[in-house]
Amino acid sequence: MTFNQLFDLKGKVAIVTGGGNGIGKACCETLAQAGAAIAVSDLKLQDAEAVAAQINSAGGKAIAVECNVTKDEDLVRLAETTVSQQGGIHILVNNAGGGGGGRENPFKITVDDFAWVFKLNVFSAWRLSQLCVPHMKKDGYGSIINITSMSSVNKSPNMSAYAASKAAMNHMTCNLAHDFGPEVRINAVGPGATKTAALASVLTPQIEATMLAHTPIKRLGEASDISGAVLYFAAPISEWVSGQVIFVNGGGVQTLD
Amino acid sequence: MTNIQSLFSFEGKVIIITGAAGAIGSAAGHLFASLGANVVISDLNEQGAKKVAEEIEKESGKATLGIKTNATVESDLKALVDATLAKFGKISGLINNVGWGANTPIWGSDTDKMVQSYLLNTVGGYNLTKLCMPHLEKEPNASVVFSGSMVGVSPSPEFIEYSTAKAGLMNMVRSMAVVSGPKVRFNTVLIGSVDNGEATLKAGYTPQMLQALADMFVMKRRGAPIEVAYGMMFLMSDAAQWISGIDLRIDGGGSYKSKMPTNND
Repeated sequence: MTFNQLFDLKGKVAIVTGGGNGIGKACCETLAQAGAAIAVSDLKLQDAEAVAAQINSAGGKAIAVECNVTKDEDLVRLAETTVSQQGGIHILVNNAGGGGGGRENPFKITVDDFAWVFKLNVFSAWRLSQLCVPHMKKDGYGSIINITSMSSVNKSPNMSAYAASKAAMNHMTCNLAHDFGPEVRINAVGPGATKTAALASVLTPQIEATMLAHTPIKRLGEASDISGAVLYFAAPISEWVSGQVIFVNGGGVQTLD
Repeated sequence: MTNIQSLFSFEGKVIIITGAAGAIGSAAGHLFASLGANVVISDLNEQGAKKVAEEIEKESGKATLGIKTNATVESDLKALVDATLAKFGKISGLINNVGWGANTPIWGSDTDKMVQSYLLNTVGGYNLTKLCMPHLEKEPNASVVFSGSMVGVSPSPEFIEYSTAKAGLMNMVRSMAVVSGPKVRFNTVLIGSVDNGEATLKAGYTPQMLQALADMFVMKRRGAPIEVAYGMMFLMSDAAQWISGIDLRIDGGGSYKSKMPTNND
């Protein structure tokens, strides 16, 4: 068995939301290297275009699609554009998300703030899966990977909306596995603190030192650590794996407090 | 951009696999050798171990070692480590895969059966890992993978000895993980019902029971041994360098028609 046979995604099409930066960008690059055609979706078209251009110049096949995952019409357009331009949908990485960062003071945020986090992190992943699964079933291959978070199991102050939304995503993943199987698999990957622009906005040297004190593999995550796990779930080698949530976190816990 | 192909190369690595004459262990042996590793095929069944090692060597062109090991005998484990070092000079990875459990009615066990199961399924892995640690610590991205079982997670009264031992194993591995980083990573694959031929029938399952089982899974089938090996390979690869202390379930998506309600279904 050669590497190419194990991870061959030639002829497969992958959508990655939030694909313009950080973990999403690494997922686009990794899946493209394995041979998949990519729809790089991002709120910022320019970022998506830069990633798509990089993949295309390396001999891959990528398109950029502007998409605000909290807007239904954008999700519909993302699925339709991908099918019409790339020929189908086989892999979906629900990576776009936000909130948290220790900024959710429960006495200051509103119901609308809380609902927005759920709309961004949970409803969008559910809705886009609903739009993509029929295409996956039609082609007889489907793998959905939800990017969850360590905060789905950690306990931290000022994170209640984000953490609850990611916990919801975990359990949604386990339940949808029963709805989508056996043709379509759905799993989740939970990154620990990973070196991206999003983390840089809240990271201080003191926070990093505390995080590493509780991390057996003494470093923060790289985006490629996460995309490696995504590749395992995207590829046919995990065809008997569904409904799983795994954490890529250096074996430890990194919290902001 | 990381070259993903290099992440899954095992060239220059030496990997010990226990229980490797069986379906899952031998599949792992073939897979790791095909990706460049030298594999040590350890099994209680000496003939089986040597046969699998020869087949792998022939297929992959990679030198292998087939050796008899009784995982419950400490001198056998030491001999396994010594023979590995004598032939290959290092140990880069260890797959503690050996294990077995009889179908026993919940009140049909006794001290001896409980202890024997614990020695084979839990303590053997502890002892072998302890012997390998000084050697693993010298190697880049060294990693240990344990074969856990879904019976160690959900109530399994029909495998009372085996399921109890496997439940203990899971927490043992987590404890190893938290103190062994960053040098050595530890993870468990939680294996669901895999079609490993004779072994399952010997454990007391009937073909009718197996079909009923397959029908309950999301994937509507039992797993193939190679699908477990793929998970082991991922966890041991450079792609998983930031993964330690996890349980990866390879179980066909699990079942929601469980005999007993559990939090995991």
